This record gives sequence, structure tokens and C-alpha cells, in this order.
Amino acid sequence: MKIIILGAGRVGTSVAESLVSEANDITMVDLDSDRLHLLQDHLDLRTVVGNASHPSVMIRAGAEDADMILAVTQSDETNLVACKLAATMFNTPTKIARIHSANFLAYPEIFSADNFCVDFVICPEKILTEYIEKLIEFPEALQVLDFANGKVSLVAVRAFHGGPLVGRELQELRQHVPNVDTRVAAIFRKDRPIIPEGDTVIEAEDEVFFIAPEKDIRAVMREMRRMDKPVERVMIAGGGNIGKRLAKALEKDHQVKIIEYDKRASERLAADLDHALVLHGDATDEDLLESENIAEMDMFCALTNDDENNIMSALLAKRMGARKVIALINRSAYVDLVQSGSIDIAISPAQVTIGSLLTHIRRGDVAAVHSLRRGAAEALELVVHGDARSSNVVGRKVADIKLPKGASIGAIVRGLPTTEGRDPGEDDGKKKARGASSNPDAQVLIAHHDTVIETGDHVILFVINKKLIHQVEELFQVGVGFL
Amino acid sequence: MNRIAQLLTSSNVIVELDATSKKRVFEQVGLLFENALQIKHNQVFDSLFAREKLGSTGLGQGVAIPHGRIKGLRDAAAAFIRMKQPIPFDAPDGRPVSLIFVLLVPEKATDLHLQILSELAQMFSDKNLREGLLTGKDAMGIYQLISDWMPNAPDQH
Repeated sequence: MKIIILGAGRVGTSVAESLVSEANDITMVDLDSDRLHLLQDHLDLRTVVGNASHPSVMIRAGAEDADMILAVTQSDETNLVACKLAATMFNTPTKIARIHSANFLAYPEIFSADNFCVDFVICPEKILTEYIEKLIEFPEALQVLDFANGKVSLVAVRAFHGGPLVGRELQELRQHVPNVDTRVAAIFRKDRPIIPEGDTVIEAEDEVFFIAPEKDIRAVMREMRRMDKPVERVMIAGGGNIGKRLAKALEKDHQVKIIEYDKRASERLAADLDHALVLHGDATDEDLLESENIAEMDMFCALTNDDENNIMSALLAKRMGARKVIALINRSAYVDLVQSGSIDIAISPAQVTIGSLLTHIRRGDVAAVHSLRRGAAEALELVVHGDARSSNVVGRKVADIKLPKGASIGAIVRGLPTTEGRDPGEDDGKKKARGASSNPDAQVLIAHHDTVIETGDHVILFVINKKLIHQVEELFQVGVGFL
Repeated sequence: MNRIAQLLTSSNVIVELDATSKKRVFEQVGLLFENALQIKHNQVFDSLFAREKLGSTGLGQGVAIPHGRIKGLRDAAAAFIRMKQPIPFDAPDGRPVSLIFVLLVPEKATDLHLQILSELAQMFSDKNLREGLLTGKDAMGIYQLISDWMPNAPDQH
């Protein structure tokens, strides 16, 4: 595929990194020629220096031939104009824009084909906020990712001594929780993947990925570790886009304190929030944390736009007794550094948001992509099309599907409505028509070796190694004879 | 005359199309059908692209048979294109494509249309025919080659 990426920032760069290896033809556009040079040194892509929303720049980038435009510059306005131009001047089939401002997002009609022609809108702040909300809802989990619009989740949890299943074989899980259908998709032991079999023994410190309907998540986690008490008190450092969104989402059901360094920003924050307590100050200030009872906090989230600040305040909060600390960290080297230390969860914004972009870029009908383990692994939700003749998976049992070793089917969601054509203006890539609420009949089937795949099924796969994804995509594509 | 030739007219055969990408070819095809059948060119373009997204219609050996369902189309219609330079098409053998046969069918596709598709695959597996199509001088000559082709001929490899 020919893909033009507008904006060589963090998101643009991580998308490019993840795609160059996959036989795509990528052109990157940015104003900063030094940054492009740097990228070209280690990635096989073309670069064009210039303003991403100028027609001549787009022509130089090959817009007339491109299958897809990803407008991910820092500026919402540039991204919108680029999509509009791509549509009217170049008839580009797929146009994706990153939009930060909640103000644009509040009026989805501006993205329609009559207006700015954005096929898919990605809002990183929204995705990140929802990601953190899940971690607050399930404080024992390292990651909770939704598929089929919340019908089923993939959960990462660390096993601890004392969990009933720890030290036992996986096949005993079924006896331990007889009414729960779940499947362990992968285990990472000391950062090395293990393909789980029935006789695999779970060890303490294992990172276990399992797939289960949301209502059963707790029952399965309880097998791996002691459960924490629910999160009530939350302290947020940083009242920027993400901190504010999170505070707004949590303030109704939690006691929220939010610390903002900038005086005027904290005043605005106080006006916008109804229940959360806004504190003006420095989140790395021991005295402030102390006087605001940091030791009583169930969760401390460091969400400023400064990596070092987030790391330091999270470390401090943990040292001073906060039960669990989360830090937002942009530099991937830092994420690796702190992840297994005293910071409970280090979140890389680029890794969390890249999946929503990959959803639209991957070949085939892809409903969701989640990047896992810092991009090394991936979980996908693929929609099956065709019949036994034109598809390699329809009418076949899970055990008979020729998946590469390291890729496994975790669950199947049956009965979701199919989407025809485009759905402009939808938020963060989730197809509205696939919404779980609109179809309570959709059924979650945890994959067993004899489950037979049908056309229209949403299949949730876990791929241990990113290199296998291309093979998986190909396997699920329809043959030439599909009409 | 075989079934495939019945769908094709010599005016829907384009020789040496100068386009550098799948996208531009589909645009040209859209315009061609808009003139010939009064279907909106965007409808053709979107339909072909949507189908391609689910899986490439590249057959390998430099051939692709993009196809799509078109709302409001009464009878199946076809076009054949020979590219001036081969273009990338995500074909299973990874080779670029220079022979492109486009098939449009009504929204409610039938078994007949599926048979046409499989006949197309059979036709393009004929090495002699492929060579003929690559070297044929003009649209009329290529049209003739396609209409003279016989299904299940003994020399298909």
C-alpha cells in the first residue's frame, strides 16, 4: 500500500516504524528536515519537507497515487485541511486525521464527506483516558483491552504467590472457575513468550494474557493473585488534556485530587470540574503530596507532558505510600527502564494509540488492533468474510486453521452487525454499527479446538511476534473468487 | 464467443494505460464505466477499493481481476486494461501487474457471476493467452484474442 504520513511526531514515527517492515510504500512529510533525515537513517521510507496541508507538498509526496493519508501533525487544523484536500484534489480512498481538540470532536458532522472528508478520526487523549480508566476499574491488571466494543476483553495480569492457580497447570483453571469460560492467550516469563498448553505451569511473576468476557475478568484474575480493594481515591498530576479528561471521567464515582503547576490553568480546571479538588502546585513537591495525604491514595497518575517529571513524581508518590502509581512516559527507553521498578505501570502514549491507526491500515477487514508489549506483540480483531470456498477460515474448526506458530485464536464474537461501506466521523476507529449496545444478541465464544468459524464472525487473535502478522492477515483475507 | 467476451466490448479495452498505481487505474476504470454505462465513477472506484481491502484480486503472473458489486447495475460489465508499466497490486506472488480485467456485477450477484470469475481465473492461467495479451497491438486485436479463447482448452499451463 502507498501511505502518506503527515507529521513526523511521535505518533507518525511509531506508525512508520511499525509499517515499513510490512511491504508498504511510505512517504513522510514534515516541516523539520532534520527530523526527517534522522528517520531516514534507520527507516526505509521517502521523505518530503514542507507544510503538510499545501497541495504542492502533497503532490510531491505522491498524493495522486496514495491509497491512504494519515494526517497526524500537531495541528488539528492542518490535519483537517489535509484530509479535505486529499479528498477533493486527489480522491484519496482513506483519510485519517488525528484531532486533539474536544471542541472539534463535539461536532462530528464536520468530519463528514460534505465537510472535511475525514474517514476516521483518532483522538489520542480520549484513547489514553479510556485506557487509564480501565486500569482504575481493574487495579490488579497491567492492561485491559476491549474487543467487539466491550463484549470481550484481553487482560494482562502479573501472577503472584498466593494466587490459587500459581504453581499449577493451566488446565486446572476450568475446575477452579467452572462457570467461567476463558482462555490464556500467552504467558511472558522474564520477558520471554511461552505458548500456553494445558500442562503449562503458571509461575509467580509470570505476565499472563487472558481473554474473557468483561464480567468474568475478576474471577480469572483472582486465580493469579490476591485482589486489591476497589480504587476510591485518585490523585492526578498534571491538568492538561489527559489529566482533565480523566478527572472529568472519574470525579462522579471517585474522590479525585488533581495537581496543576500553572496557576491560570488550575483556575480554568477548577471552573471546568464539578467535584474534583484542584490543587495548584508541583507534583514533585514532597510537602504538597504529604499534606494532601498521598499515603491514602489508591491510585496516583502522573500525566504531565514531561517524562522526567512524571517519573519523579510517581516514584515519590510510591515511596510516600500511594498504593499504585501510573506514569505517562513518551520516551520508549524510559518506559523500559522504569516498567519493572517501583512504578507499577508505565504507559507509552504512542504504543497505546497506535492500535487505533493500525486498525485502518492493516489489510483485510480489521475491527480493532492493540499493540502489546511495547509493539513486540499484537492482538487483533478480524472480521471474517466469504464462504468455505473463498475463505481459508470459514467452515473450519479452530484447530484446523493454519495459523503460524505464535498466533492463536482467543475468542469469537458472533452476531455483530456487518458494516457496509464507510462510516465517516466515527470516533477513535470504533465502528458505531458494531456497537455492543445496539446488538445485545451478539455472543462471545471462547475459542476451543472444535469451534467452527462462520462468515461474519469477529475473531480475536493474539500474535506473540509482530513478524507473524502479515501471515495472519493473509490467512484471513478472502480469495480472488470472493464476490 | 465465450461468456467473458460477451461482457466485454472492444471499446472497453484499453491498451498501454499510463498510470502508476492501483488507485489511478481504478479512477480511469470509473470514468470508463461512467461514460459507457452511466454509473457514477465514484461508485465503481469505491466498490473496487472496498473489495480489494478484503483481499487482493491479484492472481499472480502479472494478472489481476478486480471486481465489485454495483448498486443499480442490471447486467455484468467488464473492461480489460494492459498497463504501460506494471503496477504494484499486492498479488500473492508479489509481482507487479500489467494485465487487469475488471468485472462489475449487479448488487445481487448470482452463481453465474461466480462462474464468470472462476472462468476468468482459468483464462488467465493460460500462458499463451497471457503472452498474446501482452504483445497484442491494439484493442481490437486483444478483444479478438479474448473472444477466441476456449474454456478447457488442452494447452493451459
